[in-house]
Amino acid sequence: MNEAITFLRRLRSGLEAGLELPVAVAGAASALPRDARKAVERAVERLGGDYAEDEWGFDEEFTEAVFPLLELLYDRWWRVRVTGVERVPPHGRVLLVANHAGILPWDATMMAVALLRHHPLPRHPRFLVLNWAFHLPYVSVLMRKVGGVSASPHNAQRLLEQDRLVAVFPEGVKGAGKDFKDRYRLQRFGRGGFVELALKTRAPIVPVAVVGSEEIYPKVGESRLLARLTGAPYFPLTPTFPLLGPLGIVPLPSKWRIEFCEPIDTSQHGPGRADDRTLVLEIAEQVRETIQRTLYENLVRRGPTFV
Amino acid sequence: MGGHRVLITGISTPLGGQLARRLEADPDVDYLAGVDSMPPPASLGRTEFVEADIRDPALAELLPGLRVDTVVHNNILRRPRRGMSPQTAHDINVLGTLQLLTACERLGTLRAIVVRGSAGIYGSEPAAPQFFTEEMSRLYPQRTRFQRDVGEIENYFAGYARRRPAVTCTMLRYQPAIGPSLDTQVTRYLASPVVPTYLGFDPRLQFVHETDGLEALVAAVRRPVRGAVNVASEGTIGLTKLVRMARRPTLPLPASLFAPTVEAGRRAGLPMLSPDFRRLLRYGRAVDLTRLVKEVGFRPRFTTEAAVADYLRARREAAPTTSGDRANEPPAA
Repeated sequence: MNEAITFLRRLRSGLEAGLELPVAVAGAASALPRDARKAVERAVERLGGDYAEDEWGFDEEFTEAVFPLLELLYDRWWRVRVTGVERVPPHGRVLLVANHAGILPWDATMMAVALLRHHPLPRHPRFLVLNWAFHLPYVSVLMRKVGGVSASPHNAQRLLEQDRLVAVFPEGVKGAGKDFKDRYRLQRFGRGGFVELALKTRAPIVPVAVVGSEEIYPKVGESRLLARLTGAPYFPLTPTFPLLGPLGIVPLPSKWRIEFCEPIDTSQHGPGRADDRTLVLEIAEQVRETIQRTLYENLVRRGPTFV
Repeated sequence: MGGHRVLITGISTPLGGQLARRLEADPDVDYLAGVDSMPPPASLGRTEFVEADIRDPALAELLPGLRVDTVVHNNILRRPRRGMSPQTAHDINVLGTLQLLTACERLGTLRAIVVRGSAGIYGSEPAAPQFFTEEMSRLYPQRTRFQRDVGEIENYFAGYARRRPAVTCTMLRYQPAIGPSLDTQVTRYLASPVVPTYLGFDPRLQFVHETDGLEALVAAVRRPVRGAVNVASEGTIGLTKLVRMARRPTLPLPASLFAPTVEAGRRAGLPMLSPDFRRLLRYGRAVDLTRLVKEVGFRPRFTTEAAVADYLRARREAAPTTSGDRANEPPAA
């Protein structure tokens, strides 16, 4: 408490002496205990533009800073159990393919936490995010900062060529807009674009099954009118949203299981086969079946949804 | 190779003059001519100055006598010059290019045309691929006047390249330039006392450092390739970081208030922001440099962030006492 008062006193005298706010804050921070001082100094440095973002806008420092909050959700709220994380190759390009539900990408976030906490050689995954997010103020900024990119195959290809871990959700909007009664029933996987990418870049595909994410926003209907007004691809109606306003976006505390499946090697086919429709659809179906089967297995293993 | 005869349009622009000096020192270049409607500010060496307006049909009479084998078209305006109407800028860009190409139709000696075009043709789109490659120029509708102008210029060149397969047409698509000696829309924006931004947006921006811009042009003149080539310094920078590095206070505005506020600011003496630049500030734009590196054989020396830092360093040295730079001084104990 005393430290806080000294901090404020010094801050005021600094400002009165004609210093600019960031400089005055940095000067006054000397009154604080070491941890707090470091945090304040770092914040001041960031305000001066001294922080690193890669060419995609990914900000590792920022992502690490929000990490404890996500860990809380992971441990306490959803009690996530993860299996098979060691099957994700530790080096080089990897394409993670997962089921998807809900307009807020909690499934992607929890996959990232699982990888960062349990993988022997953790690295930050990158995500292909629904394009609509990049039209929105704040949301677009946040998505880029934590590793999201717009859902263009060109982006995915460049990321894979940079030997990164890339997560895609081939169900796309169809998955995000799933009705509650259709939970854990995989929607169509489009034209298999993700398989073409994996073949072209010779990246292994790791199917991922996420159980729990499809119960957090039980969608019972949608509003065409509100979708048109907000420009959203669809506007979900759940028992709590939009009835309870902002409270309605609090996700339900279902119990989660995430399983990373055996990688599917695509390098045996050669990049020229990316045009081979039969092969592409065959692998896409194989991935889809693997995820669907693993979803059912984990649903059984999980038992009751909420307890 | 050797014995090149080169014509540069827009010789009186800073880049035109710099390019002439670089090529004057090149023993492979036998003869250099520079066209512009106004005399060059600095004296040229062995470059012959030809006073002509590229919109003038008389250019077609003048060119054959010069017997050039390479034309560098460096007269595409990114924004109207001071006191110039947007209509005149449009005329210089579109009709000027058309006249120049018409004049080039009759040049039997011509082997290559290198154009300093603009990456503005891609526009700025929220969910676009993060890095535009050259074949993506028609991915989205053309939304601004400048974008349409650039599109039209590119169409002329594509048509010309089809009709005259013996001539190599290189369309260089430049990202906005930044650098110590430049006065561009970007530098004016960063120099204004308060910097308007879009509330809740932090676009990825990409610039080309002035020396990278010059060297890329020199490289393309030496090794012209067919078709479009993106030109930029490597990497991107977020607008928020850019403005913080420049130590400027921001004025975040909701999208609906942005244009009217900027217009009011312009009347009060703040810099004008063109529709293209406004979209850039909202959604950003970056380009892929694979063709530039692999085919033209030029790798930029700067990253976008280093280019920005170099410009800001020069600005600080030029004006060491402005209040915005006080944060550089060590904090008082």
